[in-house]
Order: sequence, then structure tokens, then C-alpha cells
Amino acid sequence: MNTVDEVLDYAIGQEEEAAAFYASLAQRAEKAGMKDVLMDFSHEEQRHKERLLAVKQGEHELTPEQNVVDLKITDYLVDVDASDDISYQDALIVAMKRERAAYRLYSDMAEKVPEGELREVFVGLAKEEAKHKLFFESQYDDRVLSDN
Amino acid sequence: MKLKDLISPFFVWQRAFEKPYTVSMRPIEERPGAPAYRGFHINLSEDCVGCGSCYTICQNHAIDMVEVEGLEAKSGDSGLRPRFDYGRCCWCGLCVDICTAGSLRMSNEYAWFTTDADEFRFVAGVENKSWDGRTGGYHRHPDYHLFPPKRVEMDMLGPEESVESFTEVVKGYSEEQARLEADRCVECGICVATCPAHMDVPDYIRSIRDGDYEKGLKLMYRTNPFPATCGRICTRRCEEVCPVGILGEPVAIRWLKRFIVDQVPAQEYQRILNDQPGSSGRRVAVIGAGPGGMSAAYYLRRKGHAVTVFEAEDKAGGMLRYGVPSYRLPDAALDKNLEYIRSLGVETKFNTRVGRDIQLAELLDGYDAVFISTGLWVPSSMRIQGEDHPRVMAGLRVLDEVANGRDPGIGKSVAVIGGGNAAMDAARVSRRLGAEVTILYRRRIEDMPADPEEIHEAQAEGVRIVIQAIPVEVTDAEQPGRVAIKWGEAEMVPDPKGGRPRPVLQEDRMHLDSFDTIISAIGQGSDLDFISKQDQEQLEVKWGKFIAGDYQATRMQKLFVGGDVANRTADAISAIEDGHHAARGIDRFLTGSAGSGTP
Repeated sequence: MNTVDEVLDYAIGQEEEAAAFYASLAQRAEKAGMKDVLMDFSHEEQRHKERLLAVKQGEHELTPEQNVVDLKITDYLVDVDASDDISYQDALIVAMKRERAAYRLYSDMAEKVPEGELREVFVGLAKEEAKHKLFFESQYDDRVLSDN
Repeated sequence: MKLKDLISPFFVWQRAFEKPYTVSMRPIEERPGAPAYRGFHINLSEDCVGCGSCYTICQNHAIDMVEVEGLEAKSGDSGLRPRFDYGRCCWCGLCVDICTAGSLRMSNEYAWFTTDADEFRFVAGVENKSWDGRTGGYHRHPDYHLFPPKRVEMDMLGPEESVESFTEVVKGYSEEQARLEADRCVECGICVATCPAHMDVPDYIRSIRDGDYEKGLKLMYRTNPFPATCGRICTRRCEEVCPVGILGEPVAIRWLKRFIVDQVPAQEYQRILNDQPGSSGRRVAVIGAGPGGMSAAYYLRRKGHAVTVFEAEDKAGGMLRYGVPSYRLPDAALDKNLEYIRSLGVETKFNTRVGRDIQLAELLDGYDAVFISTGLWVPSSMRIQGEDHPRVMAGLRVLDEVANGRDPGIGKSVAVIGGGNAAMDAARVSRRLGAEVTILYRRRIEDMPADPEEIHEAQAEGVRIVIQAIPVEVTDAEQPGRVAIKWGEAEMVPDPKGGRPRPVLQEDRMHLDSFDTIISAIGQGSDLDFISKQDQEQLEVKWGKFIAGDYQATRMQKLFVGGDVANRTADAISAIEDGHHAARGIDRFLTGSAGSGTP
């Protein structure tokens, strides 16, 4: 990944893969209501992909300068299986962990490349993933940790 | 006719040329009204809640409550505002004295010239008037009240005594106390709209003033067959909106409800309520004998339908029996409500779990309608490292063990994780079992979903609450048989979308504490595994809860849902209303008055 376009193509591919992952899990989901929840997640990833496509086509800009709150909920949760009988709580954990992994990947990449446009893109992508993580963490905070 | 009579009118004319005795003032100079003069009304519309107390007290019928354009009715505000008719007003100021919100006063303005008499009828605070900003005039003296601002204090066990046993903490009002408290009600009815069951609060409170408790009981059973229960543990949204609570303390509606129920012995219920269910020839299955299911059963029986309730536990009551400790809701009070419902011929099949002992499909085949109200029985997991430690227990399990008369074996020092009512109950139960209790809660006290009264009582009983404490890991403690929890302090950050502030873990401020037991009470979820995959396709479920349509109907023919498993609030009164609402829907469906019964 040496050019901005290559980096964006990779990120778009990752979002596409995530959308397919949730859609596939939705097909197998056994618990009542989980099919819809997972399809919602898939659509969310689809929206992320479209946003990055817009960035690539110059219709939208990444916001590397933006501060995104890290609720740190994900950091201390155990890993869970994306099994067929996945619950809503576990589906959120899977989603949060995936977003956190993506955030870390782009943050690490940003540190490894020299200062310049490429670094800005990696930082911007990391911020995008941080926003996605915050989206799922906020849902977890509201619905799973409602009494906590 | 005499000559004098003919001439005398001309003598009057001579006065026309004399200096007048009256004073001419042009232009007219108004004298200001006295500082406390009772002149034209001023109403701060944004503070007014449209309770209508001014309308009720006005002896001249000079006030009407009217709709105002752009002002919608909402919880705690009728959306109406007082319109004054100065053709009737006698300026007595009673409306100002009674105003619950303190929004109404009178200016010292007294002169108003117009050729249109209709203008003298106006909505104060909505129609702009020149005197609106005036500070002079009549205000109610802050120390003068037509009703006492403080509620009649409830006799309760002191905290030292209360933790010694599971005896009910609240003792209940005496007749004299209840009447004094009932006198504080202004009968505005704002509470009726907010109560999920729309109980007729003003009228049943009036029955206390009249000493007619039988009437009070009848009024309550119109919309709620659990008054003895709700009189003790209701979340009492009615009191949150009670206008008397704006300048003072709200009327103790919950305690007054309890007072009425406590005055009427259970054996009198049949005579008083006079429920005589007929026989419609229709059969309804209810899944779950909690407040939702039994409420539905009661109202369905009243309509003459045969009802069979399937309950997984060995007794009725659901979470009210197994999740609410007896110091808040004694079994006797709950059973008073349940036994009356069962006495109407509601059949109950205990120890029968749908999905294990009988299938939903069988019920749908064998009954004319099915109502699901299975509640939230699955404790949410913290999903942190070490949570499967043997010294970690779910709050619901502890409460269930105690409700069944068993010792959960929590030891002498306990940490409770969570800030809801289940967490408070687990903490207070632990105190009664002799443990020192610490609650770890990730947010602030004001963010706790638990009833503020419960929080206060827990603290009074010696429960220590550590706020902004986020558990991150459970490990073995140094002492054998104990457990340690690692937790970090949290800083609250504003939610960019305007929700409640969110806690953010501060990783440089971590703590490690040891306990005999950690009780996790962070929330509960549903168990819908008894719904077959095929049925799932038809039912709408979101975040573990059914989405109900009109009259609690689902997309599946003759299947209705309600209670915690289908509503957002997850409290007893909402479940009771869901059951009542579903009973109406099922009756409409069975009698053909609502077509197919689908939403």
C-alpha cells in the first residue's frame, strides 16, 4: 500500500468484507430478532464503504483532525464467538472488537509511514474506525449496560 | 298644574353658567394600583402545567381551561391554559392562592379601555398584555398554602431495625394520616394521563376523603388488578408529574393506593367487585403468570373467556415474587391480588415451561388466542475477564434464592455491580443476610435507573455506593475462597448526541478490592428460545424484545405480547397495562369486533 488510492481500496475492501460477514451471520442467526440486528450492522458497514468510496472520488473528505471519544468499553471485554446462536450483546461485542482492530491497524500504519498525505489518510481512516467503534460502544452503553 | 312646576326647569339652566364642582383631567392620568392590589392576571405560561386548579376553585366560573395553539399536551402538562372572563371575575385571588405551579399572579393594573367587550375574556400569558411584565400586584405569600406543601410522613422501620429481618419496611398510613394526605390532592388528573394504566387517581383519593374504601377499590380494579402490589412497589410516574410536587412534595399517591387496599379484607373482594364472568365459549392461553399475564387473565375472565395460564415457576407473580424482596412487597400483599384473579376461574398450570413442557405451536392450535408475557429472566453478563469465577453470582439468582427461603451463601462482604432496582434489591438483601455491601456503579447517582427512594434507603441501611467505578476484571483474591475485582475510576464525558453523559475509564486510576462475593446486577434480557425459527420469521423482535402492534397484537394471527418482554419501561405498572390492553385486543379479536386481530 504505497499510494492513497491503494490504501483507500484496501479500506473499502475491508468494509465490504465486514458487510458480507454480518450478512452471512444474519443468515445463520438462530435467536429471535438477531437476523434484523445483524442485517442492520451489515447495512452500517455498507454505509461506511460508500463513505470511503466518496472519499476516493473526492466527494468527501476524511477528518484526521477530529477528536473522537474512546469509551474504552471494548478494551476490557472478553472475546466472544460469532456463533449461530449469537445474542445481541455478543453481536455488539464482535462489532466493537472488529472496529477496534481496524482502528489499531490504521493507527499503527500511520506511525510507520513518513509524514505526508499517506499518513494523513491512515490517521483519517483510524478516526473513521474510532467513530464506528464509538457508534457500537454507545449502543452497548445504552442497551446492554442500561442498569450499569 | 302649579306655576312653579312650569318655571322650575328654567332655574336648572342657571347652573350651566356657574363654575363646575367636578374636576376635568385631560389627558386622563391613571393612579397606580396599590402594591398588593388584585388587578389583571399574569400567568407564566411556560411554568403553568395546565392543572386547572384555578378553574376548579373559581367560585364565579370566570376561568375556562382552553387549548392553545402551538402547545401540545405531554406528560405532566395538559396543554391547556386558563382563560379569564372579566365579566365574571370578582378579583378574589383564590386562583392565585391555589396555583400549584406558582405561575399565576395578579398585577396591580386595573384600567382597561376597549369598545369590544369580548376582549375582556383572554388567555393570560398567551395573549400579550401591557401588564405582563409588571412586578407589583398580588402574589401568594410563600408561607401561605391552601394545601400543605409537605406530604404526611410515612412511618417506616429505622435502618438499624430494617436490616435485621425481611419485615416490610414501610408501615402504611393510619386512617387519619391517609385523610390528611388525601386532602393535599387538587384533583387535577394530570397523573391519570401519565400513569401507564391510567388509573383514576383523583377519584380513588377522593374515596379516602369520603371514607368509602369499597368505591376506591372498585375504581382501582377498573384498570389495575394489582393495587396491593402497586401500592407498594409502583415506579409511580404519577408522582413525578403531580403538580403539587412543583412547589412542595407530590401527593403520596402510591401510599394512598396501598391504604385503600389495606382497608378491605381479601374475603370482601368478591362482594365489592362483583365480578361475575360469563362463558363466551372461547379459550385463551397466557404464557407467564407475572403482572402482565395475570392482568390479561383477569380482564379476559371478566369478558367471559376461559383462561389458562402457563407458568414455568411453582407459583404465580413472576418477577414480583422472585425478583422483589419481601421487605418491599410481602407475599401476602401480592397473593391478595393473585388469589382474587384466580378465584374468578383462571386456570394456572405451574411448573410448565413453554418450549420445554409444551410447545407454542400446541397452544396456538388448541386455543383461540395466546398472550405471551414471559418477562426478562436472563441476567446480562458483564463479559469481563474472570466473570465465571465461582464467587460471582447474578443478582437475580440471589433474589430468587432468598424468595424461595434458601441462603445464597454470599458471605460477609459483597460487591454489587449495577445501579438499577435489581442492584439495590440485591444490595439490601445482602445487608439483611449480614454482609457489608459496596455497590460499584459506572455512572453518577443521578444516572442510576433505580428508584431514588431505594437508593436513599440502601444508603441509610449502610450500603456504600462507589460511583464512577468501572469493573474490568475478576480474579482470585489473596485469601482463599474470596474474589477480587479490578475496577477503574471513570470521568463523565458529554454525549455528542445529547444523551446522558457517558463514563470513560481512566486507566491510570485502577483499584483492586476483595470480597466474599460479587453480585452482578447490570441488567436482564429475555429468553425467546421457545419461539421456533419459523415463527421468528413472522414476529418482529428488536434487541431481545417483541415489537407489539395495536392492542399488543403481533404479525402472527391470534398471538399477542406484552409486559417487560415487549415494552421499553419494564416495570410492573406497564406490564399490567399491557395485559389489560391485550385483553381488550383479544376480546375484540374473539368477538369479531376488530377483524383479524392483526395490527
